[in-house]
Amino acid sequence: MSTHDVPHDSHDPRGLHDAHGHHASYLAPKETFWATVKDWATTVDHKKIGVMYLFAILFMFFLGGAAAMAVRLELWEPVRVVTSTTPSGTTTTEVTGQLFAADAEGTSIGPGNNVYNRIFTLHGAIMVFMVIIPSIPASLGNFFLPIMLGAKDVAFPRLNLLSWYVYLFGSIFAVTSIILGGVDTGWTFYTPYSTTTDAQHWRVVFMILGAFILGFSSILTGLNFVVTVHKLRAPGMGWFDMPLFVWAIYSAAVIQVLATPVIGITLMLLVFERVFRIGIFDPALGGDPVLYQHFFWFYSHPVVYVMILPGMGIINETIAVHSRKKIFGYRAIAFASLGIAAVSFLVWGHHMFTSMSELASTVFSALTFLVAIPTAVKVFNWIATLYKGSIAMNTPMLYTLIFLFLFSIGGLTGLPLGTLSTDLHLHDSYFVVAHFHYVMMGGTMMGLMAGIHHWWPKMFGKMYAEKPAMIAALIVFVGFNITFFSQFFLGTQGMPRRYASYVDEFQFLHQVSTVGSWLLLLGFLLHAGVFIHSLTQGRPAPQNPWGGLTFEWEAASPPIEHNFEHEPICRHGPYDFESTVPPGWKPEDYPLPPATAPVPQGVVVARH
Amino acid sequence: MTAASLLEATSRPLLATLTFAQDVDAPGLWQRLWMGKNAGSALGDDTDAMYIWLWWFCVFWFVFLMALMVYFVAKYRRRPGVAAIVSPAHNTPLEIAWTVIPTLFLVYIFFRGFQGYMDKLVSPGDAVEMRLTAYKWNWELEYPNGGNSPATAVIGARSVPVFYLPAGVNIRLRMNSRDVMHAFWVPAFRIKQDIVPNRYTALWFNANDPSGDKTHPLDANAATARRLLDASAPDFIEEFKGVPYEDHWVFCAEYCGDEHSEMAAILRIVPEDAFNRWLPTTAEDPNASPADVGRAVYTVKGCASCHSLDGSPNTGPTWKDVYGHEVELADGSRVPGDANYIRESILIPGAKIVKGYGNNMPPFVLSERQIDGVIAYMRTMSVHAGGNAAPPATAPTDPAAPPGTPAPAPN
Repeated sequence: MSTHDVPHDSHDPRGLHDAHGHHASYLAPKETFWATVKDWATTVDHKKIGVMYLFAILFMFFLGGAAAMAVRLELWEPVRVVTSTTPSGTTTTEVTGQLFAADAEGTSIGPGNNVYNRIFTLHGAIMVFMVIIPSIPASLGNFFLPIMLGAKDVAFPRLNLLSWYVYLFGSIFAVTSIILGGVDTGWTFYTPYSTTTDAQHWRVVFMILGAFILGFSSILTGLNFVVTVHKLRAPGMGWFDMPLFVWAIYSAAVIQVLATPVIGITLMLLVFERVFRIGIFDPALGGDPVLYQHFFWFYSHPVVYVMILPGMGIINETIAVHSRKKIFGYRAIAFASLGIAAVSFLVWGHHMFTSMSELASTVFSALTFLVAIPTAVKVFNWIATLYKGSIAMNTPMLYTLIFLFLFSIGGLTGLPLGTLSTDLHLHDSYFVVAHFHYVMMGGTMMGLMAGIHHWWPKMFGKMYAEKPAMIAALIVFVGFNITFFSQFFLGTQGMPRRYASYVDEFQFLHQVSTVGSWLLLLGFLLHAGVFIHSLTQGRPAPQNPWGGLTFEWEAASPPIEHNFEHEPICRHGPYDFESTVPPGWKPEDYPLPPATAPVPQGVVVARH
Repeated sequence: MTAASLLEATSRPLLATLTFAQDVDAPGLWQRLWMGKNAGSALGDDTDAMYIWLWWFCVFWFVFLMALMVYFVAKYRRRPGVAAIVSPAHNTPLEIAWTVIPTLFLVYIFFRGFQGYMDKLVSPGDAVEMRLTAYKWNWELEYPNGGNSPATAVIGARSVPVFYLPAGVNIRLRMNSRDVMHAFWVPAFRIKQDIVPNRYTALWFNANDPSGDKTHPLDANAATARRLLDASAPDFIEEFKGVPYEDHWVFCAEYCGDEHSEMAAILRIVPEDAFNRWLPTTAEDPNASPADVGRAVYTVKGCASCHSLDGSPNTGPTWKDVYGHEVELADGSRVPGDANYIRESILIPGAKIVKGYGNNMPPFVLSERQIDGVIAYMRTMSVHAGGNAAPPATAPTDPAAPPGTPAPAPN
């Protein structure tokens, strides 16, 4: 739909109608290039905001990934100081195995290690604050939550735009601190190291302020979603008629609103401690460093459920649609999502078993096992959904299976970490690093990849090349396992985390892990290529390529500005595959189970 | 039989079964695969039994779930024109079962973990207490008689302390930090505890006897092992000649800055009788000369990990040719390297930073005798060793001499 078709008349000043009188796609450009830029810069359209978030998040993912590649490269071999004596009696020492420049004058390894320490901090801070926390809610959540509810937009569209600008602003703050040297505290900023390191305050303060600002973006997004779910559901849609993706985003949004203020306050206290020396965390001033850990993890544990719940939400959609099967145990999954959100606030101490009292550790260990139960139940429900389904093998389904595989490993390896006696050995080792990469990357990121491929035709109106995408997914899967499974062994054998170097006995496993990281890079580069190819040369997508039943498949591909021509009415459940012809499909093209006679599109046969 | 003794009685045979070990003391296949070798203590082996039980628990359920998943994907793959078979979307008995059964397993796992944890954290009443201090980036262990282990080993990039400890004795470490958070991790004992600046934390262990009658140095420590048997080596200890020993790593496990990854130590487990013969020799000797006191301080207080004696640069400036020379500071000024300079550098290291080095040294609390000793020791390795006279304004140097050669003494 080019702009030349848009009639300029007073009834349609914004050019929303094309020559055929239909509404234009949300992606349609305006009259001039700068008008289009202004449109996107001032938009309150949740779809445009979601797309901007998506590309920003993918960009930050590559930035954080570059830092990870550097980290794994440094760990290819340990740092060694080789001393040799020349025949004339002079001793020379040489530092080997350090990727980053050591200091020019001497053989001290500290400066080179410092660069490594700043790079792993960068990797963690970017990935946690700028990628994974907003990943699904801000991109796919923004785009699809209103549409799935049949709404035109979120409850507070202007607040949505504000959250995007706050995200940009916070990211710029953080990236600026990185460009100007970065910090070496780890993304957790533990005290008193973070309050006493680095003579110049501003670098640490900048990074902390960046995280603080980003927190507001998260709160605004969460607030918007909670109100939207409560208030903007389509007629006929009760709570238990909503897609489970919405339940997942809603549960995550509740955590975002309740928990994020705690990290905001904590980061503020950290800045005050550094700058004004108030003495809350630094024992030299009468403070308690473990108090900081409690404050920090009180937010940072619930936030990992902000990370994973939306990923699980996507899996609900992809597994149902691509198996053409009603989700097994809808209510169990809905309540499990809420339950996980609630219990997530009770388990933060499991990050601190080696710095708390025995009583506190015991209580937190018991509660940690409690939160494992609804999570396991969800996995059982998904596998049960596959039973007697009609399962297509495409990229979204492949990523769904990859999610199930990798997230199961991540979840199961949480058991030795939640178990007190084994955690005394595994805490702060590579075992923990492997565990959280399996759940965060193998869980959330694979869920994001499943969602992007599932909804790509809807968002951009283009199909992507299926075979290269599936090959890329397999490369990512193999590369991921090589990179991170080896790290479980590193951990149990005694390799601590956040180490710039290590003793010789760990070298082989580190090299295995590094080779895996190269495969991961290859896989993601391939994906980027598939996306670019699709945007530039992909064939146009139909309204409902997969046969989904939720409201987004009733909208055009890509949707018009206000999502729907007419407000949709909820007439069937989100997963009633055995009784409903999907929107946009002709009944003769869509096989219904034999027990049911073919029905016209949209007519209800039975509600769940 | 109490629960604890029942647990203990079943742990070892259970470990042997699960790890396919012929001999309970030899590591089984899975223990070797996961941990590298068997633990250095009985409680460590119990932790391994728990871990390997969990490993098999996870393998069983993971393989079961993934096999089901793959089977369903294959069996129910989409056939064009064929709808999915109708089946119920919930099954209350099944859902209750798969909620209750995992819960029961998790309750069992929690309790077993809790028991192992309490065993490892609550030290026996008869434990010998030793003091451990952590600081950026080294460890200091003080024996009950106030003495320290003088041995060090060079691993990778730094010198690390070697702490001799007796086997078969309950040892409790009361720990604290001089600066930031650290953590004391002995992978071989499967124990770890954070070290905090504002209070004590503690852990305890009982090390197994060194296996067999062979010495077991860490692979990277082979050079030190050879030196131990060499009577001419400077750190040769007569009381340990020929005794079996086993080395275990200590790693700092809480990020603490630039050299966090170099903050290691070695626990060297020796037979109790040999240790008891040697321990009195570590006590401070009132008749030692100041230079000997300084030499002991150099190793036991950790100066060795950052300051060399041969002129080579490290985290901190070398001690060679400091006393009696001029020192150039980071701000460009020059100060005499005299006794006052050395004293201030120990007590308030941040006051004067040498050019080319960072502000990395924490303040040390040394007795007057120890400070005297350091000064005397540094005098022995300086060409300007005579008295406290100011050095010449410029020490004449020969530009053609290879680096590291001391400047010729003025006459």
